[in-house]
Amino acid sequence: MSQQPEQRRGGFVRDNAISLFFGAIFLAALVGQAFSGWAEYNNQQVADGLATISLASYLTSASFGVDVVENWQSEYLQFLLYIWATVWFIQHGSPESKTPGEEGPETAADQKLGSRARASSPAWAKAGGWRTRVFSNSLVLVMGSIFVLSWLAQSLTGMAAYNEQQIVQLEDPVSWSTYVMSAEFWNRTMQNWQSEFLAVGSMAILAVFLRQRGSAESKPVGEPHESTGATA
Amino acid sequence: MRSQRIVFTAYLVVIIAGLLYFTALGLGHR
Repeated sequence: MSQQPEQRRGGFVRDNAISLFFGAIFLAALVGQAFSGWAEYNNQQVADGLATISLASYLTSASFGVDVVENWQSEYLQFLLYIWATVWFIQHGSPESKTPGEEGPETAADQKLGSRARASSPAWAKAGGWRTRVFSNSLVLVMGSIFVLSWLAQSLTGMAAYNEQQIVQLEDPVSWSTYVMSAEFWNRTMQNWQSEFLAVGSMAILAVFLRQRGSAESKPVGEPHESTGATA
Repeated sequence: MRSQRIVFTAYLVVIIAGLLYFTALGLGHR
């Protein structure tokens, strides 16, 4: 922690600028995906000698669904693993890492739990028992739930899209249990996972030697390469 | 914390609505 004596508060937009910015570009990209996915879907329909569909039909198609949620699951898995892995592993020199020797869940005092909580600590951090256990893992629990549910949604929409293709090709539709063991399901899954894992690993190690002046994800520009866990 | 709670809730609502919508979409096409 560095020199931030007083936390200056702005209005609603300034106080929430990161979340609002990403929320806005998420919606814009989703709209872009809807239009480009619709165009691509209809190109394929024409190539197959089938009727084109309306935008509304595309937005309720399994094909649109699987393209959205297969990306969701991999993103939530990425952050889930990053949150979990940074409890137990360190990366010497990385601003994303705790310092060597701090691996693990740490002490109640370090984590401001139970009797070591402050007056301003959240109620469930002070409560002790199951509530403190749940709250202590709430980020992983929620990100993990979103991952599992979006992967499940991928399997259902993926199966439906796959079966529509099977019918066009005059082949038998497959069951859910067959689909989740299929090459198509695992290819969609793994092609998303590999890119996330590469990006996360890159972030952890590149930030040892590289800087972005002013970024909360970077060490201060003049911070030594050696120093671990230092953010601006 | 009030305005952060609004954005926090909005994110969860969008995510849960998306998960429900796409799950229903998959189930509905069977």
